[in-house]
Amino acid sequence: MSILDEVSHIEQDAIKRISEADSLDLLRELQVQFLGRKGSLTAVLKSLGGLSPNERKAVGARANQVRELIEQKIEEATSRLSSAKSSSSFDPTLPGTGQYLGVTHIVTQTMNDICGIFERMGFQIARGPHVETEHYNFEALNFAPDHPARDEHDTFFVEGGRLLRTHTTPVQAREMEKRKNDLPIKLIMPGRTFRHEDISTRAHVSFHQVDGFLVDEGITIADLKGCLNAFTHAYFGEGLKLRFRPSYFPFTEPSAEVDVACYLCRGKGCQLCKQSGWLEILGCGMIHPNVLEMAGIDSEKYTGYAFGVGVERPAMLKHGINDIRLFFNNNLRFLRQFN
Amino acid sequence: MRISYLWLKELTGLEWSAEEMAERLTLCGIANEEVTSTAKYLDKVVVGEVLEVHPVEGASRIRRTIVDVGREKLQVICGAPNVAVGQKVPVAQVGAKVAGEVEIKAAKIRGVDSAGMICAEDELGISSDHAGIMVLDPSAPVGAALKDHLEYDDYILGFELTPNRGDAWSAIGIARDLAALGGVTVKRPEIKLRESLEKTSIVIKVTSDDLIGCPRYAGRVIRNIKVGPSPWWIKKKLLTAGIRPISNVVDITNLVMLECGNPLHAFDLEQFGSNEVVVRRAIQGEKFTTLDGLERTLTSQVLMITNGKHGVAVAGIMGGLHSEVTEKTTTLLLEAAYFSPIVIRRGRKELGMVTESSARFERGVDPNNIQYAIDRAAALFQDICGGEVLGGTVDCYPQKIESKQIALRPDRCRAIMGTDLPAARMKAILEGLEFQVTGEATLAVTVPTFRSDISTEIDLIEEVARIHGWGNIADAVENVGPLYSPANAEDIYENELRRILNGIGFDEVLGHGLADGRLAEMMNPGLPQVKISNPVSDDLSIMRNSLLPSALGIASHNVSHRITDLRLFELGRAYFPPCSGRDWTEEERLSLLVTGNSPANWRDKARPVDFYDLKAAVETLALHYHLPTFEYVPTSVAYLEREISFTIHADGQPLGIVGKLTDQLAKKFDIRQDVYAAELYLPVMMRLSRALGKFSPLPIYPAAPRDLAIVIDQSIKVGEMLDRIKNVAGPLAESITVFDVYAGKQIEQGKKSIGVAIVYRSPERSLSSDEIDAAQQAIMKTLRDEFRADIREK
Ligand SMILES: [Zn+2]
Repeated sequence: MSILDEVSHIEQDAIKRISEADSLDLLRELQVQFLGRKGSLTAVLKSLGGLSPNERKAVGARANQVRELIEQKIEEATSRLSSAKSSSSFDPTLPGTGQYLGVTHIVTQTMNDICGIFERMGFQIARGPHVETEHYNFEALNFAPDHPARDEHDTFFVEGGRLLRTHTTPVQAREMEKRKNDLPIKLIMPGRTFRHEDISTRAHVSFHQVDGFLVDEGITIADLKGCLNAFTHAYFGEGLKLRFRPSYFPFTEPSAEVDVACYLCRGKGCQLCKQSGWLEILGCGMIHPNVLEMAGIDSEKYTGYAFGVGVERPAMLKHGINDIRLFFNNNLRFLRQFN
Repeated sequence: MRISYLWLKELTGLEWSAEEMAERLTLCGIANEEVTSTAKYLDKVVVGEVLEVHPVEGASRIRRTIVDVGREKLQVICGAPNVAVGQKVPVAQVGAKVAGEVEIKAAKIRGVDSAGMICAEDELGISSDHAGIMVLDPSAPVGAALKDHLEYDDYILGFELTPNRGDAWSAIGIARDLAALGGVTVKRPEIKLRESLEKTSIVIKVTSDDLIGCPRYAGRVIRNIKVGPSPWWIKKKLLTAGIRPISNVVDITNLVMLECGNPLHAFDLEQFGSNEVVVRRAIQGEKFTTLDGLERTLTSQVLMITNGKHGVAVAGIMGGLHSEVTEKTTTLLLEAAYFSPIVIRRGRKELGMVTESSARFERGVDPNNIQYAIDRAAALFQDICGGEVLGGTVDCYPQKIESKQIALRPDRCRAIMGTDLPAARMKAILEGLEFQVTGEATLAVTVPTFRSDISTEIDLIEEVARIHGWGNIADAVENVGPLYSPANAEDIYENELRRILNGIGFDEVLGHGLADGRLAEMMNPGLPQVKISNPVSDDLSIMRNSLLPSALGIASHNVSHRITDLRLFELGRAYFPPCSGRDWTEEERLSLLVTGNSPANWRDKARPVDFYDLKAAVETLALHYHLPTFEYVPTSVAYLEREISFTIHADGQPLGIVGKLTDQLAKKFDIRQDVYAAELYLPVMMRLSRALGKFSPLPIYPAAPRDLAIVIDQSIKVGEMLDRIKNVAGPLAESITVFDVYAGKQIEQGKKSIGVAIVYRSPERSLSSDEIDAAQQAIMKTLRDEFRADIREK
């Protein structure tokens, strides 16, 4: 066997035994056995005396290469064995001691989600009073006195001749009046509304709404449909069908209710959509010419659309919440599920 | 409203399935809510004949019957009092499923085998009647399936009508929309009257003393009526509409109302008390007994039908008890009238009732369909009750209500819809709805009087759009309106506040805005309140004038659910009525509440929260918004502990209130732990907030830190002492911080030791130790002189 063959033999033997080693002690032994002062590779290097300078150089280089390889293998094996069974007392599995992150109320989150989508379409947020006048809540929105449409707005009246707004649409009347000389107007009006109802799983004295409208030249039903399609897909998911059912609101004409195909069963019918395949989510329409005129806007020159979406209802649909009172009980076990 | 599918089919001739009809109506604005089979509970229900009826020993309420159902004879236990031998009855056989989803099984009742059930109408889903078993026509063939015998294989279509569509509250009304959708015309039933020579106008006179409330009143007289049950075809139409059949006379008036939308009323002319009808307003305080047997006190809002002496009916709402049709009635006075929607609405609100009749009048019926309605009913009385119809109608209608003429510009219609719909299609749609249309460039439209909801061009455009179908209008794909809208500053500010407060561990809560007026008065005596005139309950009697009652209510709810460590905030409004020169006001506020223990983990142990936890949150906001230095000015508020009760001032303006709630108040909310709360005024905070300022160069000269241990009296306020230190040290002191507060062992009773760290640095040069020592000496001298401090320098 030539010396070079012997070096190769040592190399193979070392690699095999190091890879099989199952303890740090054994690795230390192997290190001594191969690389120690009396080790096998050291012995080879010591026996180079009888060789020519060229041979000596070649064998020396080869032996050094093998030494480096063995050192590397031992190092790798050492870290493998020590991580498998650490003798360190440090425990990374204890929980971190960071601060609790508070939760934003699910109604706020939902309202922000809804507003965010419309803001990206160029709507600006506007606010208005909760304690409203009869004028802005009803008259300016074309609710005739003694019209049955008023029955659908059970109203809280307050002493001093005002009422609690039953929808956020009065802000539309206020803003149109204020900005009639600064058209176009494109606003969304998120906020709290009130209905004179007994509190139950389905009804509360207070709930939230996001209304929106656009007044400009040349606005049509097609524009309204395009806008609400974009919103619905952004909020409930792409590819869901919409349907517009003609309906009646005093402040829009033509008016429609918008149903979105149930996102859970995709229209086939399930418990969420009460087997209808549709979820009612929005009311909308073209702003009634009377409403534009009452605000001082020329209804022949300008047209506009308006829509209103609830906040609690989509949140209930999206998260499977079955009791509207949960929103106002503010039980933290409920609220913190939305962190 | 509910209506029979077969009826709509009969009126239109359309071959659509019930589902298809429902869907198409929904998409044109007549929202369908249910499609229910009338035969839902008729499966395995057959016609049976009662052969024997025997008592059951020891059970007086039930009887053993033998019923022939054709194939076999069944023994059936029956609990109905009206069961009798010879009756033809509906028998639900074993396996049938009756209303309430009850499956009929072979059973043993009181030891007797029973193989079925003899059914009442409610069990078959036919009506809500449970007075006794349903007794069928004697000619009913034994063994026949009940739904075949009754020809009751229909669907009930239930609709939720919008309040503007009074015209659609009838079979013909809904059929009109269907006809427009299907391109057909409504087939109204034919009327064949054989009037007698005796003239109606000789027998009765009608006058309306209130032409606003009653613009039209028509009457007919029918003699020789035989009151009895209605034929099944009438009952079916009523039953599918949810109206209980009573007698042929009442049923016919109801049928005609369901058919064409005009409510009718039949009086017993012999009980009427005179030969004239006078319509007038009730006299304030007038007493009247309606046919439900209740004596009512009327006001002048209520319109009355009278016999010239006293009331006989509340117009359009309910008849009177005394002139009601009974089995003995032979002569009818039939009323068909048009009452003002507003007058009926006010009247029925006054009386607190809604009837089939008032609901229709309130939404507007067709004043010009009255002759049709009264003739149709008269013909039915003639054909079904054997009545003799007197010649002519007495009709008080001095001012005819004319059809409206409205111009529709096709261009305008297209501009609203966003389509290129041709004028011819618009014309066709309107004609389908029984409008008359002439002209081409501009359509001249005559609106039938049953469409009282239509008065302007936009109303016509809505008709075109709903029949054309919103689904057939293409969605625009481009965004319209302004390209950019500036953000709302308040909204951004509030969302930023939320993020900061969430980040420091506060949960957001939302109160509903209403509050208990007595509690609010107790907390803030004399503070004006927005009072609700019609509260739903005492604890929701005002709009809150502070956010704190909401916060406490929410804390209380959580504590009672054993969530006791709370860090809550709310962004909301406080409401004020006009007061001392101020208008109605709604102030945006931020409330903060902490109670229970501090957040804890395996390393950092919990401790009860205190004032400084709350102050830290307030200071975090101050830091973020670069608010001016806060001053905590002691204040006296009813709901805060006297010692720990402060108004926060910034730049001399009150920014809010902070402190510890009184135990007494917390206890009122069932909270038995310390509660600290703050309420900040957002507009003030926003006004004082500053954006990021100019940058300061990084220091190049070294800092010299020095610590002082200062022992002072407990009563001395550390803040005041720090202010003095800052003052004396001047610009050389880069920072002054408190790193320790200690009282107890090694410190004299009544004293406390405060550790203060001062960092000296100059932006211009390295400070010499002499300079620093001099500054330290000056500070110590001031502290000794002014605060009687005992100081150790470190
Ligand atoms: Zn579904």
